[in-house]
Amino acid sequence: MMPVLRTGLNAPLLAGVALLVAWPFVFGSSYDLRVFTLAGIFAILVLGYQFIFGHAGALALTQGTFFGLGAYVTGLLGINLGWGFGLTLPLSVLGPLLLALLVAVPVLRLEAHYFALATLGISQVMLLIAISWESLTGGANGLPGVPGVIIFGEALPRGLPLAAFVWALVALAAFASWQITRGLLGRAFTVMRENEIAAVSIGIDIWRLRLVAFLLSAGYAGVAGALYVHTVRVISPDVLEFHVMVAVITMAVVGGRTRVAGAILGAFLLVHLPEWFRFLGQFYLIAYGAILLGMIIAAPYGLIGAAERFRAQWFPEPIPLPPLPAASTRGAETLPSGPLLEVKSLAIAFGGVHALEEVSLSIERGEIFGLIGPNGSGKTTLINCITGIYAPASGGIVFGGRDITRLAPFEIARLGVARTFQNINLVDDMTALDNVAAAYAGRRWAGISPELMRARGLDLARQQAMRLLEQLDVGPLAMQPCGGLAYGLKRRVEIARALALEPRLLLLDEPAAGLNQTEQADLAVRLRKLSERGLTLLVIEHNMPFLMPLATRMACLDYGRMIAAGSPGQIRADSRVIEAYLGAPEVA
Amino acid sequence: MLQALINALALGSAYALLALGFVLIVNATRAVNFAQGDMVMAGGYVAVALAAVLPVPGVALLPGVIVLMIVLGLVFSLFAYFPLKSRPPVSVFISTIALGIIFQNTANVVFGGAPRGAPPLFSGGLLTVGGVSLSEQSAAVIVVAALLIAGQWWLFARTALGRQLRATAQDRQMAEAIGVRVNGMIAFTFGLAAALAGAAGLLLANTFFVSPTDGTNYIIKAYIAVTIGGWGSLPGAVAGALLIALFEVLYPLLPTLLPLLDRWIPATDTLFSQTMATILLYIAVLLILFFRPQGLFGEVVQRRA
Amino acid sequence: MPLRFVVAPVGVLILLFAPLLTPAYAAEVSVPVLVPVTGVFALEGGAQRNGALLAMRHAPKDVHVRGEVYDTAVAPDVGVQALERAISRDKPTAVVGSMIGVQLLAMLPILQEAKIPMLTTSGTARITELNNPWIFRFFPADPLAKEVHVRYVVEELKKRRIALVYQTTAYGQSGRAEIVERLKRHNLEPVMQEALEITTRDMSPTIGKIRAANPDVVMLHIHSQPTALFVRAAAQAGLGLPIVAGSAIHQPTTVSLVEPAELTGVCGETNASPISGETPEMRSFLDQYRKEFGSEPDGFAVGQYDGLMMMLGAVAKGARTPAEVQKALASSTYAGLAMTYKSDGKGNMAHSAVIICYDGKSRIPRVAKRYENVTGVLSR
Repeated sequence: MMPVLRTGLNAPLLAGVALLVAWPFVFGSSYDLRVFTLAGIFAILVLGYQFIFGHAGALALTQGTFFGLGAYVTGLLGINLGWGFGLTLPLSVLGPLLLALLVAVPVLRLEAHYFALATLGISQVMLLIAISWESLTGGANGLPGVPGVIIFGEALPRGLPLAAFVWALVALAAFASWQITRGLLGRAFTVMRENEIAAVSIGIDIWRLRLVAFLLSAGYAGVAGALYVHTVRVISPDVLEFHVMVAVITMAVVGGRTRVAGAILGAFLLVHLPEWFRFLGQFYLIAYGAILLGMIIAAPYGLIGAAERFRAQWFPEPIPLPPLPAASTRGAETLPSGPLLEVKSLAIAFGGVHALEEVSLSIERGEIFGLIGPNGSGKTTLINCITGIYAPASGGIVFGGRDITRLAPFEIARLGVARTFQNINLVDDMTALDNVAAAYAGRRWAGISPELMRARGLDLARQQAMRLLEQLDVGPLAMQPCGGLAYGLKRRVEIARALALEPRLLLLDEPAAGLNQTEQADLAVRLRKLSERGLTLLVIEHNMPFLMPLATRMACLDYGRMIAAGSPGQIRADSRVIEAYLGAPEVA
Repeated sequence: MLQALINALALGSAYALLALGFVLIVNATRAVNFAQGDMVMAGGYVAVALAAVLPVPGVALLPGVIVLMIVLGLVFSLFAYFPLKSRPPVSVFISTIALGIIFQNTANVVFGGAPRGAPPLFSGGLLTVGGVSLSEQSAAVIVVAALLIAGQWWLFARTALGRQLRATAQDRQMAEAIGVRVNGMIAFTFGLAAALAGAAGLLLANTFFVSPTDGTNYIIKAYIAVTIGGWGSLPGAVAGALLIALFEVLYPLLPTLLPLLDRWIPATDTLFSQTMATILLYIAVLLILFFRPQGLFGEVVQRRA
Repeated sequence: MPLRFVVAPVGVLILLFAPLLTPAYAAEVSVPVLVPVTGVFALEGGAQRNGALLAMRHAPKDVHVRGEVYDTAVAPDVGVQALERAISRDKPTAVVGSMIGVQLLAMLPILQEAKIPMLTTSGTARITELNNPWIFRFFPADPLAKEVHVRYVVEELKKRRIALVYQTTAYGQSGRAEIVERLKRHNLEPVMQEALEITTRDMSPTIGKIRAANPDVVMLHIHSQPTALFVRAAAQAGLGLPIVAGSAIHQPTTVSLVEPAELTGVCGETNASPISGETPEMRSFLDQYRKEFGSEPDGFAVGQYDGLMMMLGAVAKGARTPAEVQKALASSTYAGLAMTYKSDGKGNMAHSAVIICYDGKSRIPRVAKRYENVTGVLSR
């Protein structure tokens, strides 16, 4: 998807807003206004769903349930206790929030479809409860007599006033969505959605971020549910039925999963389309299905996504590069003496195969430590253990005097352990600049802070990112999506991203792979420079001519065991190393 | 309660056919086919329509249903999958929702809203086995479904076509590189999935009838079966389907199977109601996922860095 | 918008002269038909629609009826949207309303605001309990239907050990409450109750539980497809108990799913069984319905037909506006095909019901017992 760099208003957006404002005056019958009101309610629901489904990328099937719960809270309190909008709306938000918190613990850690199924299960149970708890909910029949919206003692008549009120809330919800996602937090969401490994490697706590998205979704759904029940004036289990959920997913995808305008457009169209097709008599829902199919085939990234692509292709706008900030003046750190990283008798096995056995090593500050070994000898596994992606079966890892063996990957990253990947983990659809800038989201994360949301925060991060890209001589490519970059350039972007964490230890997994001689020499110079500035490096490589002159110390892994350690010269001469390599000749 | 057990297995084997088709498509394309439940409904109506012109037992209609459903599956893939094959899988999810809407409402227009019944596989009478009389249809459903599942296994494990289908599902690029016509294989997978669902439709449309809105219930069942079985696992899908059906049918019967329960536990009517069975099924699903997040037959996926 | 200033006076002029321009009909009324023709209630909604359309074709001379059909699907919001659309486009004199109770509950406030009478065949008790003078029900309300249901089981069949099977839907839950309450008046309590999900297909657990409870009769209050499934499963399992079902058993589409032999000893309550052709008028209705729609009519079709015929009769007698129609419906008595209709003051027009039974040889039931004027309203 195209990056949103243009945060200002633009012409199509203004036209869309004008159309929405004019709509109820052109189509002003009580019927048109009711459909329009309903479209607004669904717009809020879909805006909320975008957080968990669009931004966090998790197929949650609870949005309809949060909506229904919000509706039941307002409906039952209004009918039984006569409570007004001012009291019931907050409670309608609170109800789904509490449910979301309750279910988050067991389900939010599940992956993809297991998460979807778990959320589906919760939804179905809620539906059955609403149907079965007849004394409270009125059962499948539901209850009539939900009061309308009453604000400041004044009942809001249905028709234009109600429509205007709902759409004012849509505007508010849309503004909040835009505000939450336009800054660094939005970039963090993107990285988490597109590449979880990359996200944790730059210090993003994906579990927390997912929880935040889930809660936001639930809160929005509560508002939508309350408005729905005020509009329809009866409460029944229909609000919890699966078809509501299906409608919401469809609206989100058809409009655009992560765009505010997409949610509104999707909801508006999908609520109106069946009504527009009613003249077709019994065929109207077939026509609705057909047009839905047509839209998704024509605009698989959503209508807003299609519009953005169209615009990028035919009306490209020159995007200004952010200015460079003044050079960073970070003082030398005072740290406890002793080795920076200590790995003690580390062991891990996969399905009975020992990937690492009794591996110990120690890296001093300022070293460039080279780790070699044939394919499958456990080098990458070691890095994955150090960065917390794998939990070792036994042994320990101490970084800067602190035991990090059981820390989560994002925590280790925040302590100053950055890494690059053998098979590059960048977000292809995001620009090189934002890939690097996103690393500042992880570093600054402290709950949803205003700084993460403000445009200024993103601007500052981009400026810092620009400086790093310049340092690695990829500045001119900053505005290109990473997916289109050449291999060697992607590597440099990845190194820039790792440096954005201002790490104390940088782990490089085969940084020279796929680079030509000149590029390799160039990379070696850059790495040495980093080392001179006090950064400690752990480099995994096959490429001896590259590594030998670079490394200050080296070790060799074979079949998960450390078979040699010492200076590059010692390693070169070690018979066990030669045997390991001769036994399985490597092509660098 | 042998009859209840047979019924549960019959229901479960029909669910299994449906779930199997669902997994085949997931494996070949990574996409979720939301219309797989509507394919069952379509198969049921194809059987009803065929029976109207050919008054023969259901088992004789089966080849016709399978052929027509393969054709439907191919056409389906032309609209639902191929225009979107290099797009995000979620767009395929939506296209299958759209086609599901079209299927449901077309069935409603063509056949009307009333439930319809397809002919039984054989005579539809009762079998007497060791003094217990059983519904012949239920037994026949189990046998036919088992044969179809075995046929699917044979096709994949033992034939050249099956090897190509598996290669496509495993690694599309690699399959293409060794000369497999990947698009053809994917289209055929859709045909096969539709045929399995359609066969389930024929089997169910006699015992349980068919109406245009049946699909939603079936797709939810298939989704549970496939996921608790382990996403992408064929044996897992079959096991999941049987498990769901056994639970659905046998749980409400517990008080009659174990008469003591009635004495110990008050309000057995409520506790062992169908609603409670459904609620407990979902709670069981949540527990399974809590302790085995990869499903019963799924492999532990180590995150690759 | 200057256009409006042109259009409005012209419109007013046309309206003023309209009676002069169209002298062919003494009265022209619009009765939009708001019923579910898609979704899970398409079967019942379709019958309602057909009954209403047939009545329009049989409208008294000099009464011209326009009757647009609007699908209400299942959800309350779609039903309300259909009503609003009909109100703003068709200027209805009255509307035919969906039999889905929840939709009606959502529509009622709008009807009251727009002051338009609604004719429905819904059985949901509550719709006539809300002091809304605009709703008219031409079908036995649940309290009446279940009164007859229970009386037949207890008084005619003399059964005491009752197994009750109901559905966890709006229809099922409210009917079950009525049945249990009425059994209590006879000092009875069901020996077992089983709630069926609408998605439940396999009836063997239910049959097994019924058997274990050892009842002497089974009362069903479930929808069409489950009724057929239950009747067949009971026959195949050799349950051997009399079954007294809800109105679903009278629907020809329900019984077409089971073999006549499987229907032996099965009875049920309903407003009327048109296919039984009890009267010459009903037989003529049956013929015309078959000719018109190529399908068999059920009680919903007859109820809706009767309701609309009563309304059109009132129009022929001079009721023109919605308010006049409302007044006529609320105050007069009408002898329809199924029964005689008269409002009880709340809009309940039906006060009679029948019990039909199948003989095991044919799919056409016979009327086993008539319960006329159960509420006593007709003799008021």
